[in-house]
Amino acid sequence: MLADVQFDIRPHVVVATLTGEVDLSNATQICDAIGEATPNTALGVVLDLSSVDYLDSAGIHLIYRLRENLRARGQKLLLVIPSDSPVQDSLRLAAVTQHLPITPSAAEALAAFAPAEAEAAESPAKDSDRDTPQGEPAV
Amino acid sequence: MTTGSQHLETPQPGAGQVVLPPASPYLAPADQLRILSGLSDPALSEVGLDELLDEVLVRVQQALEVDTVAILLYDPETHQLVARAAKGIEEEVEQGVRVPLGKGFAGRIAAERVAIAIADVDHADILNPILREKRIRSLLGLPLVVEGDLIGVLHVGSLVPRIFGERDLAVLQVAAARVAPGIERARLYSALEREHRLAVVLQRSLLPRELAGVVGVGVAARYLPARDGVGGDWYDVIELPHGLVGIAIGDVVGHGMRAAALMGEVRFALHAYALEGHAPGRTLELVDRYVQTMRERPMATAAYAVFDAETGRLTLATAGHLPPIIFGPTRAGAIEVEPAAPLGAFPYGNCPEHELTLASGEMIVMYTDGLVERRGTALAQGIDDLLTMVSAAGSAEQVCRSAMRGLVPPEGLDDDVAMLVLHNLPVPAQLRMHLAADPGTLAGVRRVIRRWLRERDADSGDVNEITLAVGEACANAVEHAYSPGPAWFELDATESDGEVTIAVRDTGRWREARGDNRGRGLRIIDAAMSDVELTPTSTGTEIVMRRRLRAA
Repeated sequence: MLADVQFDIRPHVVVATLTGEVDLSNATQICDAIGEATPNTALGVVLDLSSVDYLDSAGIHLIYRLRENLRARGQKLLLVIPSDSPVQDSLRLAAVTQHLPITPSAAEALAAFAPAEAEAAESPAKDSDRDTPQGEPAV
Repeated sequence: MTTGSQHLETPQPGAGQVVLPPASPYLAPADQLRILSGLSDPALSEVGLDELLDEVLVRVQQALEVDTVAILLYDPETHQLVARAAKGIEEEVEQGVRVPLGKGFAGRIAAERVAIAIADVDHADILNPILREKRIRSLLGLPLVVEGDLIGVLHVGSLVPRIFGERDLAVLQVAAARVAPGIERARLYSALEREHRLAVVLQRSLLPRELAGVVGVGVAARYLPARDGVGGDWYDVIELPHGLVGIAIGDVVGHGMRAAALMGEVRFALHAYALEGHAPGRTLELVDRYVQTMRERPMATAAYAVFDAETGRLTLATAGHLPPIIFGPTRAGAIEVEPAAPLGAFPYGNCPEHELTLASGEMIVMYTDGLVERRGTALAQGIDDLLTMVSAAGSAEQVCRSAMRGLVPPEGLDDDVAMLVLHNLPVPAQLRMHLAADPGTLAGVRRVIRRWLRERDADSGDVNEITLAVGEACANAVEHAYSPGPAWFELDATESDGEVTIAVRDTGRWREARGDNRGRGLRIIDAAMSDVELTPTSTGTEIVMRRRLRAA
């Protein structure tokens, strides 16, 4: 088993924690699995890559594809990648670091969703609000 | 079978049935006996139940000059007689006639263990409609008994009215006496045979169908049933997260289907706990807890090790199992393990772990006791013999072959045997790999490259970046490989004066970056390596990458 994904389905955010190695053999399945696990009512996804040992261009493609898929549903993607992660090497060599919404820890990623979550909790019926959440990086 | 106790009986005298006095030892004419004597032929004890029954039918029909012969066997589970073989009334068998004990002609013979003659079927208590439909007029039957146990009923019939007498009974008794033990033996044998066959199928289906192929690691395994059938020995190879390989072996005490089924349970439990990523000691402890909860708690031992092909590190834990052996160019011997209790032996058992390193080229051999335990030989001697037997082997497969050839006696094994070998394949300085163009091989290639780079004193930055570049080049080869059937690609790696040169050749046409994905892959290769050449060859594309190691 090269990699595994664990899901924490929270009221407004899905935290997907990826472990192992991501390459051509599993990237597409992982991307699809995260999309499947994310309910339409979620504000977005936190993809935690802290425990990923290896991620190549197929993995980077996964991130872009997932972001596209989520955006089409009005949902956001935040990545958790600590500075000493080997994933940082991949993103740097592919020169995509600047284009991706990266936070160093899951706590910070969740905090970034907090304002939008608070708003969603106040007016759960107002689906349209989800397109313009406040106080978090535009993804 | 005691022929002397048999006598003919008719349930209702005067209703077409004839009572005869108890049979006295009666000598049938020589030709009758000659026909029946064939039933004592030793060769007949070798044939299967069906052939034996056929032989009985033919000979009885000849000797008594009757139109029908039938054998019903007693099924103790349902207390019924089941038509098993017939001549002249084949429908009995075809329709699977079953007669309850005590009912009708055959049922009464069996229940009361008496011989019965019926002169006129029309006036008798006959259950089986086939006998009437076939227009059988007269019947004679007797029970088949072996050592006091009823095994069935043998009966003959005539289409013309006939009064079967003592003389006919005597002939039938001779036939029954000769054949009953053979039937019993054949039946027991076929039951055993069936159990044996099922157990072998079960055992096979419970063992891994094919071993996980891991680049850089050689794995081979064997399972051999004992002479008398399968047991509870097993092995497993588990691909774990983070590129680790789990190897396990175990033994559930016992034989046959039960041991095989329990073995399956223990193996699956270990496999599942191992996949959760637990270390070997904890994995065995969890299996121990699982075994504690099993209703039919087996006596079981196991050994489980996790191997890191990148570093050669091996973590081993055992639960009452024999110590694996390690051998290679510079050492050979059993691993000294702190003994731990078998699985399920004590509540909250604990399994200490042993850390060791498999040097390049070394192998670890796990086995079950059947391989090294010989009557009259010390265990240490058996392990020494195993070491001697395999010392010249150059691959995991050869180790298995040598051990099987040298340690399995020609007459077969008393106990079943499992063995599993893991070979830490050497990574040569001049690395050349021929690889299946399959995404599944990429992780293994990366592991070999990482190890090769570390052995060239590359630092972690070198290792990560060069591995990424090689991974991208290989992914490209896999994506572009086109051929009907299996496709391959090649990887060469050399180092000279601190500069590594890695070439990846595929059998496909290089395609221009298609979409962002491939474009990023090429960007990664360009950024990670100092020099990149892309050359179309006659068969495909070659990419040659160079980089000076930082430490150099």
